[in-house]
Amino acid sequence: MKHADALFRWKDPYDLPGTNALFAAAMAENAAFQRRSCRDYDHICAIAGLERGAKLGPGDLHRLPPIPTLYFKRHTLRSMPENRLLIRAASSGTGGVKSRVGFDAGSLRRGLDMSLTMARRHGLLSVKPCHYFILGYQPRRENDTAFSKTGFGFTFFAPALSRTYALVWQNGGYQLDLKAMEKRLIRAAKGTVPIRTIGFPSYTYLLLRGMEERGIHLRMPAGSLITMGGGWKQFEGQKVEKSELYRLARSVLGIGEAQCVEFFGAVEHPILYTTCPRHHFHIPVYSRVLIRDPDTLEPVPEGTPGLVDLLTPMTASMPLLSVMTDDLGVLHPAGTCGCGIEGPWLEILGRVGVRDIVTCAAGAAEYLKGVAP
Amino acid sequence: MILFQGQLYEDRELPRLRGELEARCLETIASRTIAPEQVISACGVLAERVRRGDYDQVLRPFLADFHISPGQFEAALRLLEPGSLRRKLALELGPGPEDTPLPCPGRAPIQRRRFPLGVLLHIAAGNVDGLPAYSVVEGLLAGNINILKLPSMDRGASLLLLRELAAIEPALKDFVYVFDVPSSDLASLTEFARIAGGVVVWGGDEAVRAARTLAGPDTRVIPWGHKLSFAYVSGEASDGDLAALAKHICETRQLLCSSCQGIFLDTEDMGAVEAFGERFFQILQAENARHAPADMGLRAKASLQLWTEALEAVETGRRVLRGGGAGVTIAPDSRLELSALAGNCWVKPLPRRRIVHVLSPEKGRLQTAGLLCPPEERPALSALLARAGVVRVTWAGDMSRTLPGEAHDGLYPLQLYSRIVEFG
Repeated sequence: MKHADALFRWKDPYDLPGTNALFAAAMAENAAFQRRSCRDYDHICAIAGLERGAKLGPGDLHRLPPIPTLYFKRHTLRSMPENRLLIRAASSGTGGVKSRVGFDAGSLRRGLDMSLTMARRHGLLSVKPCHYFILGYQPRRENDTAFSKTGFGFTFFAPALSRTYALVWQNGGYQLDLKAMEKRLIRAAKGTVPIRTIGFPSYTYLLLRGMEERGIHLRMPAGSLITMGGGWKQFEGQKVEKSELYRLARSVLGIGEAQCVEFFGAVEHPILYTTCPRHHFHIPVYSRVLIRDPDTLEPVPEGTPGLVDLLTPMTASMPLLSVMTDDLGVLHPAGTCGCGIEGPWLEILGRVGVRDIVTCAAGAAEYLKGVAP
Repeated sequence: MILFQGQLYEDRELPRLRGELEARCLETIASRTIAPEQVISACGVLAERVRRGDYDQVLRPFLADFHISPGQFEAALRLLEPGSLRRKLALELGPGPEDTPLPCPGRAPIQRRRFPLGVLLHIAAGNVDGLPAYSVVEGLLAGNINILKLPSMDRGASLLLLRELAAIEPALKDFVYVFDVPSSDLASLTEFARIAGGVVVWGGDEAVRAARTLAGPDTRVIPWGHKLSFAYVSGEASDGDLAALAKHICETRQLLCSSCQGIFLDTEDMGAVEAFGERFFQILQAENARHAPADMGLRAKASLQLWTEALEAVETGRRVLRGGGAGVTIAPDSRLELSALAGNCWVKPLPRRRIVHVLSPEKGRLQTAGLLCPPEERPALSALLARAGVVRVTWAGDMSRTLPGEAHDGLYPLQLYSRIVEFG
């Protein structure tokens, strides 16, 4: 995977024009490997009408079959023997079904190169120790959701003096303990060591709103950050605007909007998207994003909403080349953000599907007994 | 907002009003009753005003949110008209038990009269079958005091209609309470259920299970759960009948309990299933082009599901035909399943000798079967489908018809909302 290695070591993580040819070469290289090593993937390519040895230039990437995350939830695809997978992760399991992915040493090294470049670019790397507040699960051997892994992993971007978890393992189950977190935040505000929160936006919001209702207004030490990942989907129905969260961060913790950073990624597409100062997810060199028509699945022009298809040559152990998420989104054209990063940016509009409760037929199906045909 | 004895209150008044609720209900039961005619004439006035467009400002966004078409709404409105309500009352509750006294040796015959359950708690869902205000009207017809918990997406339509109803007939004020509490407010819901003699719950298994937990063991739980419907085709179906079925699929977007999810064919020959699937796909595609596209999220979900199925075809033996947003999945199994919705159905073999074996295990989920078959076979096939658990057999194009006087999922709601008292 020499092209992929070169891509993931690229100095400027937002140099899309400079990497277009390299990106396509890395995709072609990876696709050829996947077709040789994973029979199911070869079959999927055949269904999509992609002949073996087809030329894949920068303009042909849409021809690689986009595999829905639903497919990964039902099938485990492997291009390497299990014993070469150093890390296994599972998605957080929307609807109770999880995708199980595994990464080999080469893929992980590319991931690490990417994480360091991105963290450096977004000012997340620091030698100054800090207190971490993780609004997620305390890691346990049995918990393999990607969040508990990345949540823990993030705490190495700056040395950790302490780690406080919101979901604590107690009496055989996870308990949400925001009270303890609040107490330690109050204590941290009196010190000089910066803090970093990491977690789902919804939990971050709950924590901050609760503190504001109790009239708590703190000023965290300089260099403190609020970082969020895992999407806004838990917010659906609550109609909370991001601006409200930024207001709370300033009011409750004294942390400014520019110090609120959001991440986006998926186990099936382990690319680290980080928001710019204007809170937009620009596409880094490690991936390309196609938006596809909701009926035909054909690519649509920039600015048109549709299904989000994420492409990357990062992973060798599995065919994660082109992954179609359950999200609807828009790719905004280059030059429309104004933050200084020139490239296009992705806006997630929400999940596919019917809004809750409008369909009774769908509800009935969830409980069908699954009779033998 | 809260509707409490005809008055609107802010949600922050909830603790106070909740505290007063039981005393108010008991006082009403002790001192007043309502006659069905009072309810019926008030509904008549209300239906007239709705039709005139008086409430369009609130109702139109509500209908859009719940994907309720003008035709469906018109049908729902007809249910509120006096003629419809009188017919419903006569069908479901008449002849009254007072007409059939029970002989008692050595004494005067025992007299019987129908009484309301007392207080009904309605936990409403947002779909058209469960139009929350209509659920309350049914409770009122049986003479009950009604506490309505609104569905989370109801932005005021039910509240408006019920407030108007109480304004038209002030006697109803003491019989209608509406609370906009979330399902997570267990304290309020438990209190409402404690006061109630019956809990009417609309929604999926989770909602029904939650209602059973809320209600004490001595409280009647009346679940209107989620259902699935399908079409059954035996013999040659005409293009006209299949076009009507396709129209029904596109109109309802397959979102209703009565919407056709797929078509079972009375055959074991997969060749016949394939041929039928291809033929119906052409008809469905043409029909779908005549309808406004479904919600983008719904279409995208269907596309994802069907693309996944296409990738899995080698294991499942399924074939997915897709085009113009419509789709037909030809499948070799006979499992009843939800379709991908939004104009995408399945076609499967189900020979008649296996109807009961395949469908009976799902009897609690079955609702409508749209039947297309030669006229001479209709009685036998209808009876077979009914024995398997289906509660409504219709022409394939009529699967989602709403007619005044129809039973609901095989039952008469007004009977469930009342009780018989014997005197003697």
